Amino acid sequence: MYAKLILRNVKRSAKDYLIYIVTLTICAALFYAFLSITSRYYHPQTGTEYDFTVLGDSMKLAILSITLLILFLIRYVNNYMLRRRQKEFAVQSVLGMEQHTISRLFFAETFLLGGICACAGILLGMFGSQLITALLLSQYDLPFRLSFMLFPDTALLTLCFFALSLLVIGLFNVRTLRRIKIIDMLAADRINDPQLGKSRYMPVVTVLHSVFLLITVLSGISNMRYYFDPRFPLPVWVMFYGVLLSPALAFVWPLIWLAAGACTARLQKRRWSLQTLLAVKLLFALLNICLFASVPRICFHYQISFGSSALGSDTGANRYLLFLLADLSYLICGLHYLAGSALNLWKEKRPAYTYSGQNLFFFGQIISRLTTTAKSMTLICLTLVLSLFLFLAAPALTGWAEGYLALRARYDIQISTSYNNVSEESDLPAGEDYELVSAFLEAHRIEKKSDCTFHLYLPRREEFHNRIKWDFPVVAISLSDYNALRAMQDYAPISLGDTEFVTQWQSIATEEEREIFLAEHAAVQTDAGTLTMAVIPDDTLPDGQKPLYYTEALGETLYNRYTDVLYVFPDAVCEQLLPVMRNRFLQTKTPIAYADALQLQETFMAQYPEEPAGGEGVNYYLRTRTEQVNGTKASIFITHAAMLYGGIVLMVICLTILSLQQLLDASKYRCRFGILRKMGVEERDIEKLIIKQLGIWFGLPVTIAVLTVIVLAAFFFTTIRQQIDAYIGLGTLSAQVALTVLVLLILLVCYLISTWILFRNSVEE
Amino acid sequence: MKPVLTLDHIQKYYGNEGNLTQAIKDISFTVEDGEFLGIMGASGSGKTTLLNCISTIDTVSAGHIYLDQTAVTDLKPKQLARFRREKLGFIFQDFNLLDTLTLRENISLALTINKVPWQQIGSRVQEAAESLGIAGILDKYPYQVSGGQKQRCACARALVGNPRLLLADEPTGALDSHSSQMLLSTLLMINETRLATILLVTHDAFCASYAGRILFLKDGRIFTELHKGSDSRRTFYEKILNVLTMSGGGQTNVC
Repeated sequence: MYAKLILRNVKRSAKDYLIYIVTLTICAALFYAFLSITSRYYHPQTGTEYDFTVLGDSMKLAILSITLLILFLIRYVNNYMLRRRQKEFAVQSVLGMEQHTISRLFFAETFLLGGICACAGILLGMFGSQLITALLLSQYDLPFRLSFMLFPDTALLTLCFFALSLLVIGLFNVRTLRRIKIIDMLAADRINDPQLGKSRYMPVVTVLHSVFLLITVLSGISNMRYYFDPRFPLPVWVMFYGVLLSPALAFVWPLIWLAAGACTARLQKRRWSLQTLLAVKLLFALLNICLFASVPRICFHYQISFGSSALGSDTGANRYLLFLLADLSYLICGLHYLAGSALNLWKEKRPAYTYSGQNLFFFGQIISRLTTTAKSMTLICLTLVLSLFLFLAAPALTGWAEGYLALRARYDIQISTSYNNVSEESDLPAGEDYELVSAFLEAHRIEKKSDCTFHLYLPRREEFHNRIKWDFPVVAISLSDYNALRAMQDYAPISLGDTEFVTQWQSIATEEEREIFLAEHAAVQTDAGTLTMAVIPDDTLPDGQKPLYYTEALGETLYNRYTDVLYVFPDAVCEQLLPVMRNRFLQTKTPIAYADALQLQETFMAQYPEEPAGGEGVNYYLRTRTEQVNGTKASIFITHAAMLYGGIVLMVICLTILSLQQLLDASKYRCRFGILRKMGVEERDIEKLIIKQLGIWFGLPVTIAVLTVIVLAAFFFTTIRQQIDAYIGLGTLSAQVALTVLVLLILLVCYLISTWILFRNSVEE
Repeated sequence: MKPVLTLDHIQKYYGNEGNLTQAIKDISFTVEDGEFLGIMGASGSGKTTLLNCISTIDTVSAGHIYLDQTAVTDLKPKQLARFRREKLGFIFQDFNLLDTLTLRENISLALTINKVPWQQIGSRVQEAAESLGIAGILDKYPYQVSGGQKQRCACARALVGNPRLLLADEPTGALDSHSSQMLLSTLLMINETRLATILLVTHDAFCASYAGRILFLKDGRIFTELHKGSDSRRTFYEKILNVLTMSGGGQTNVC
């Protein structure tokens, strides 16, 4: 009998919670698909060059932690089911069923529902797994062939994960159910939602935001002190003063409000409401957002830095990204909190609009919902922002990493050195030939295609002891070595006069940096005399010539630490200079297998350690293309997959909750729309009302989230603009972003339409 | 007096060929302008079905219903909605107020749906509320007021549009005896002062005693009819009880 009851209930729930079930199935499918590539049985046809075991554990961890978010969805829906079914449980209790039997029945019911979803998800995931494989293989530039296979270990993991999640949530439910009194269950549907006015969350958020404002003000003061110069142009003035004064005013405003409140209380006048406080604070937040968002743009345009880290990224801009996030979050909270009050105000101020047609009903529907669900709407909106941002940032970040890889892995083997920890000239690696590598290649029957061992020289010997990071000396290469490297990369050789030099640039260097450097270094003092920069004629310039420089990608280990430029000197000059680095670049005829590459690295490290013993001495580095490509592509793939997976899961959860919020209250709505019908409202008008209601319900959080993400993305892309230009290209990135936006739009429309259809059906029943 | 509502051999069947339920077998009657008509009957006698057919929420299987000489049964769905909002007012047993709106807004909604200019709405709502004694609680939400107040609000909502016919389905069903009495007095007052035509469906003899004429339904037919005439309400009440006893219900039937 109990089994029958459970089955019946599952059947009924399946109808009510269709969207939830579909979402859970999609989540299980994604989970299985993404995890399948970490399976022990996963062996795509990739040859010896690639090794997929690198993906394994980090991928598993990333996916498991993201999937934990689904717990929230399950908990949310179960809570709702519990609340809605309380009356039924009460009747069962009154009939004499024990409360623990009821809770067990409910547990079995949700467990069965979840189990069916997980199984269906695994079946669907078999298709999804093919998509992921295609994505993975395209990352490694390999062809894709369709093959269906069920990975038992992944399937088991998926089932276990979902079973465990359902078990945990189920136990929570059992506990909740056992604690509720029968009388409370009976009266459950008569209790109204709590009124928003009593909620304390907004004041708490405001206090937290004030703390952030204080930090912003302090940071603004320190910026003024260290980086401000009165000669800056007007926009920079505005930025410096803006990011200081606007947060400061926003910080002071609540204090004014409190003081005014105390005064009016004494004078027994009407106090300023919390709404006034929040409305003004939100205006300030908006102003802050505009100012913070302009920071990277102005910094980029006027070449201003708020201090930079060793990695070369602007920590000041990163700090303002954090402040921007804080203000955006506050704005989102506030907007949702005030939306109900704003609508009320609008309703009162515009009677002509309010008292026409069914608008009164519409306002009632929206306002009652907005005031009771402001908190969850805020949460949904913030989650949507995160999800959208993950989607947008993923192509930029992976494109960056991939582009960087292409510039980095220019040779099959790159050996480089660094003299940062060398204090005596005698310890420098002059004349070293790294014969061990040639021996290794011969032993493994790997033929060399081209090979170049070369020195990098310091123009002036006394610079050897200069170890200041921002003033690190630029090193030089001899013309013949430089031409040999160019030949290895299939570039034409160059020529130089006896007293001339040219420069070779890393792709990350900006045009401005290059122009400043070239203007300042028309001549270079060396130990072998002064050299002048080679020029080529250019009629468009006033002096009829421009400096000659090269930007071809010749590998990233060709430059000295912390510099983006390399001098190319005539051979005769280099012979008189101090060689500080000894590099060897090799190209092989066939790619090196992954196992061989690892072995070569081990052999090399045994003789030439990366970290010298005792910390004093030369640092040697050996990088193979195989290992670089493998490692980087694996981490790119993990990042990309995790970001996409996270984005989809978050997005789907948000949309599901949004639509469930409407569908789960269908009985309430059915009654309300029924009254309208009896009062003589036409079906067409009711349809319009439904569409309007769903439009606002989905539209409000989605619009706010989209606007927020536009600001964030603009900030983010401006901050990493240099990298985008260097490694991805604006066109490619825009195309990728446009594609992502299109896919997301389709997803949103799917949810909206299915919610609309289900909602209409349940209202019409 | 001219007739407001005329029912001409109404029949209503439910179900399909194999399992046919005849809820209304054959009913014909006329309601005059300004009349307060009660319809009584035991559960399953077809009261609610009849009311649903008159209010155009349900359709008839055979026969015609005329309101002000308009054949309601021939109207198209769009015309029906218009007909409902312009000609009819409803009072339900469970009030059917919208819990998202204040009492004032609930009453206003009936007018806004009828496209009354917004400048008139305030005064008309106020007037209706005052006549029903709920002017002081207009800005409260339904869950903040008592059942009796809710029902009077529903009554104000039904009346504010000046309908030709006010349909009340067990309006006192969810009220205590004091609130019931107050509501019924109000209905009577509306009937007498505003000359509103009221059709009241009930199974409660006390409630029915406020009407001027009562139709008794039994098994989908009119069993008998009772006129108050010049009787006092008490006498009329006793007459009603007698009829109920005859028809096989009511208090004196208990052995």
